[in-house]
Amino acid sequence: MDSLILPTTPAAGGIEGIDREPFEKFLIHEGRLLDDRKFEAWMELFTEDGLYWVPSTQDQPDPFNQASLFFDDRQLMKTRIERLRHPRIHIQTPPSRTNHMVSNVIVEEADENAESFLVSSSMMMGEYRLDVQRFFMGRQFHRLVREGNTFRITLKRVNLINCDSAFEAMAVPI
Amino acid sequence: MFDGTPDEISKLVEPGRVHRRVYTDNNIFELEMERIFGRAWMFAGHTSQIPNPGDYVTSDIGRQPIIFIRHKDGKPKVLLNRCAHRGPKVCNEPCGNAKALTCLYHGWTYDTDGSLIDVSMPEGAAPHFDKKNFGLAKAPRMGEYRGFVFVSLANKGVSFNDFLGSMKANIDDLVDRAPDGEIMLDAGIHRYFFRGNWKLQVENVLDSYHVPYSHASTVNKKGEQFSRREGDDEGAQVVEGKTEKTADAWKGRRSYVVDFGHGWTSNTELKEKERSSPAYDAYKVALAEKVGQERMEEILVPEFHNSLLYPNCSIMGLNIHVRIIRPISTDLTEVTVYPVRLKGAPDEMNSANIRLLNVTHSATSFVQTDDLESFRRTQVGLQSLQSEWIDLSRGMGEEEPDPHYNATRESAMHEMAIRAQYQAWLHYMREAA
Repeated sequence: MDSLILPTTPAAGGIEGIDREPFEKFLIHEGRLLDDRKFEAWMELFTEDGLYWVPSTQDQPDPFNQASLFFDDRQLMKTRIERLRHPRIHIQTPPSRTNHMVSNVIVEEADENAESFLVSSSMMMGEYRLDVQRFFMGRQFHRLVREGNTFRITLKRVNLINCDSAFEAMAVPI
Repeated sequence: MFDGTPDEISKLVEPGRVHRRVYTDNNIFELEMERIFGRAWMFAGHTSQIPNPGDYVTSDIGRQPIIFIRHKDGKPKVLLNRCAHRGPKVCNEPCGNAKALTCLYHGWTYDTDGSLIDVSMPEGAAPHFDKKNFGLAKAPRMGEYRGFVFVSLANKGVSFNDFLGSMKANIDDLVDRAPDGEIMLDAGIHRYFFRGNWKLQVENVLDSYHVPYSHASTVNKKGEQFSRREGDDEGAQVVEGKTEKTADAWKGRRSYVVDFGHGWTSNTELKEKERSSPAYDAYKVALAEKVGQERMEEILVPEFHNSLLYPNCSIMGLNIHVRIIRPISTDLTEVTVYPVRLKGAPDEMNSANIRLLNVTHSATSFVQTDDLESFRRTQVGLQSLQSEWIDLSRGMGEEEPDPHYNATRESAMHEMAIRAQYQAWLHYMREAA
């Protein structure tokens, strides 16, 4: 799928003449939904064919021929979130507390009509649960389509700097 | 003090229970590294990981770093990843291709079979120095079955053939699903760790009793687990929808044990006739073309849900993968999960298997994460000195012979398989080096 492929020579600082602010607002909002555990609303940010991908190797070419940390379509997202709401999800009893930070936002691509975009940003998520605090950090890529005053996600790809390390159990999306 | 005498070891395992120290005592852990992980046949890699001469993969057997490499003569080798000079790990990458292996420290260079070929400044070597005596150490014994390469780090002991025994059928059950009769462990890995003893994960592999409660969050309102196979609408019936009591179909599962602590659980009952999807249907055609319709139908109702080659290799038949459990310390364990690609199957089918594994046995998965929480909490609970014993008595005395498999069987809701693991544990641990 072409949408999973990222540009190899990104524009330094992003595309001229496109205001970053609406994108920043959107990304901050997305992180906030996850931190507030509004998982259903987070899922609704994705289009019906939207994909959420966290590769398990650097420069992973695709999620079809290799293991991934996350590779959810809407159906898997729904199953994941229903489980997060289950009273007996032991790995979230008690739940994780998370905080997302987003910075260094760059509009990497925009189509001619300014309707679809590729936006990259630096992300960090701190997670705390039961005396253990850990951090996930990386560069994330959002393919977005304009919808009214806001956007919807057709692809969210998070390239973690430690994507190929061994992880302790991870229950919430990054 | 604890010296690891046969008498001391024997006292840790009683009928139907084991002492908490087997999970918490550092002395016992050290002995396990020597007497179990230093002796038993351990998975070192699969030949599909190293298709070309010079290809290598690094991993660890217990705490010992190894290099699984294809020598220039085409044969796989298993070398200890430790420079013969002063000890650094020689190969530092998870995988790669090398014409020779050079240690970073003083530049000693080894051939792909481990023999020392070059020493920098040879003029300074001691008079008796002979390169022949300084190769990378080889795993003393190696065996291969259908691409699975196992090694024993002990010079003597049970042969690979005897160790594997009837468990060959469990490997066949997986490998035969490939239309070309070969599997490939070349689709990356999942790697995760938990703060608990390695045996907690090993015991869990053949424990069907924990599923209805531990994995409650993976079943829907009808009591069915989410679909774990391509072409299924839903997974196994685990509990009755309304009452949440364990479903009869789940209770009907059996577990089986054979020698050396090995065993398996029976296949999960699923709606085989209704299983269909474009990828699955194309796969059926590809398989039937190679093996015929009758054999294809046989293969597609797998016999085994999960198989354990004790001490630490699990082969999963439901959502197919190979899992290796690696002790790091008494209370820290790493697990590596290899997705399986079926050679000759349509890409869509292999891709579906890889994708489903992401949600069943990765660090982020729906199933495994609750197990990892159980292991973590068990390790915490076992710090309690008031209760010395772990109870494993379910179904004691109900074991019966199974003539078909030449095994011993019992309800998988019982704990026979774990008791058998501790008999194997005793067998390894009682024998001093």
